[in-house]
Amino acid sequence: MTTVIEARDVSKSYGDVQAVNHVNLSVEKGALFGLLGPNGSGKTTMIKMLTGQTRPTGGTATVLGIDAEKDPVGVRGRVGIIPEQETPPSFLTAQEYLEFVAAVRKIPDIQKKADWWFEFLDFADKKNVLCKDLSRGTRQKLMFTQAFIHEPELALIDEPLINFDPIMQDLVKDYLAAYVKKGKTIFISTHILEVAEEICSGFAILHKGNLLHTGPVAELTARGEHLPSYFLSLVRKDRHV
Amino acid sequence: MFELFVAMLKEEWRVHSTMFGSLSFALFPVMIFGIAFMGAFLIPLMRTTLPAGNLTLIIHANYLMLGIMVGGFGLLGNEVMSRRFGQASFLSYSARSLPLSDRFIFTNFVIKDTVYYFFLWVFPFGFGYILASPFTGVSLARALLLLLTLTLSFLFGLCGVFFLSTVYARSRTVLWLVLLALGTGWGGFAAMTGMNPALFFPPMLLNSAFSWTNLLVSCAVLVILFAVAIVLFNPESVGSEKNYKDAFAPLMNRFSFLPHPPLAAKDTIDLYRSGSMIGQTIFSFLLPLAVIWFFLSLLGPFFPPHGLLFIFAITTGVVASTMYTWVTMFDSFGPYACLPVAVSTLITSKLTTFAVLQVIPAAFIAVVALLSGEAAYLVPAVVLGCSVSFYAVGVMAWLCGLSPNVLVYDVKVLFVYLVLVGIVLMVFTTAAFANPYYALSAVILVIPTWLLVQKAKTRWDAVDPAGF
Repeated sequence: MTTVIEARDVSKSYGDVQAVNHVNLSVEKGALFGLLGPNGSGKTTMIKMLTGQTRPTGGTATVLGIDAEKDPVGVRGRVGIIPEQETPPSFLTAQEYLEFVAAVRKIPDIQKKADWWFEFLDFADKKNVLCKDLSRGTRQKLMFTQAFIHEPELALIDEPLINFDPIMQDLVKDYLAAYVKKGKTIFISTHILEVAEEICSGFAILHKGNLLHTGPVAELTARGEHLPSYFLSLVRKDRHV
Repeated sequence: MFELFVAMLKEEWRVHSTMFGSLSFALFPVMIFGIAFMGAFLIPLMRTTLPAGNLTLIIHANYLMLGIMVGGFGLLGNEVMSRRFGQASFLSYSARSLPLSDRFIFTNFVIKDTVYYFFLWVFPFGFGYILASPFTGVSLARALLLLLTLTLSFLFGLCGVFFLSTVYARSRTVLWLVLLALGTGWGGFAAMTGMNPALFFPPMLLNSAFSWTNLLVSCAVLVILFAVAIVLFNPESVGSEKNYKDAFAPLMNRFSFLPHPPLAAKDTIDLYRSGSMIGQTIFSFLLPLAVIWFFLSLLGPFFPPHGLLFIFAITTGVVASTMYTWVTMFDSFGPYACLPVAVSTLITSKLTTFAVLQVIPAAFIAVVALLSGEAAYLVPAVVLGCSVSFYAVGVMAWLCGLSPNVLVYDVKVLFVYLVLVGIVLMVFTTAAFANPYYALSAVILVIPTWLLVQKAKTRWDAVDPAGF
């Protein structure tokens, strides 16, 4: 198997705060890998380091064979990213934003692809509305679209379902499951444990910046355990420690 | 009321102090105090060449300008209100979940801005002057009066801008009519009486002859401006949903000759749709320069022949360099963080848009040269103004990257900026005063400008992009 994400002894501190603490992680091609953890556990910082949005204070992160610290633009050129907060530019319309993304990423024939996404995520009626005037859910749809419109071999997505209604969540879960079947890889950060158990093939649990566990979901299932209860017991135990 | 006001004050302080560190930001008013204290010792020297009345007028004009600049955010209309209130979790936004009206929150916001910037800018300057007064032969009463009238000037700028911004948010046509009426009244008064209308500016009247009536008149005008602004404030239109035709693709094609067409197209759309293109050009460029031109013209007799034009060209250059803040004000790095775009690419793109905008100051200096009968020096004046503008923006990009609007309040940044720009201003003012055509030598600034921009790119690529 090919490794698409390799984090070796990665750390990040902000002053006295240790956001991520010597984490080792690897994700194989074709995986739908879930990074799980309570609020403030370091998930977003981890994704930011993997996509070159912030520099690690220790260790190295390699994504698709590229050192994320040395060539962040190279990494971002090859992957799709949904950031933690949906932040499309205020004064572009949804349609213009996708054209902008396509121009920056040099994606040809964007209109057909954009139209497919507008229909698929059911926001064609909002395509000419300024991003700043879109609801959070519609902004999330737009950010989801920009992350997948170029069909990247790896997508790193931070809480992608959080602003979606149940119908949209279901649609997106199916899309993600189908996407990895095409040989692509998804690295998803979430604290919706039921979703992670349902769609992820592998997972890692972060707590207070420390990696508590990493492995395949199937291993848990084989032991008769469920991801939510395993997660809770592990995190609670770590809190006592 | 008071709880919200205090919380907003704390919030404003924390926004600034978390960006630069409490000490660095706390030193900002100390630096203003230091400048005023030391500058006060120059007054006896300046009086030998400049009448005291003119000097007072200029200082008041500066504080009027300061008030205009502090209040200026509102002039961009609903979009800036939305940006200011809608996209960050500031109290002015989150307080809406409490049983408080929008007008009440806005009133608190305006009062908070007044008090906060008074202690940040106005009071340190006045206090420096007061402390220096025993050494400069100025009576304490006179120094206190100056502090009062400078405060009023600042408030006139602030309230005037809030008033105009709320008019603008309601109707651009009415705003134009108000400005036209003010301009006509000003010009008409000057033409009919042959007197300088600036001398009838209420704080100036108060400064030249203190009376309780004058003080009451000043306060009454301020209260009226403030009250009308609050009444006209219309929160309902914030966040309304509009549909727009696709402007991005055609613009990108039009900008295909620029280094980064998609980024240039986005910047242009930001400027146009946010109202900055027109609003900022009028209120952050043309209006301040008109005021500066007016007050500089009072100093004409004290400059060498043709000196006024070149002083004005240099001033225009410095003011024009702030256009870099127009093209960066609507962008944090956030929207680009998920795209293959480096900070250095964004800096290049913003500077390209800035370069296109330099048509405005170049045309402005040319018009001033023609109108003032100095057509022979049009080219040197334009070259000087534009060179200074590009150099100053190079310094700004190096010091502040993509966040000049924020980092300007870092005392270290401001100090380095003032030194680097100040030295250049002195050198080229002296050159232009010696011979108007020496102003052409300012093209040499292209070298430090280029070096500064290269350094800016390397410097800001090497650090994590700022979240503001």
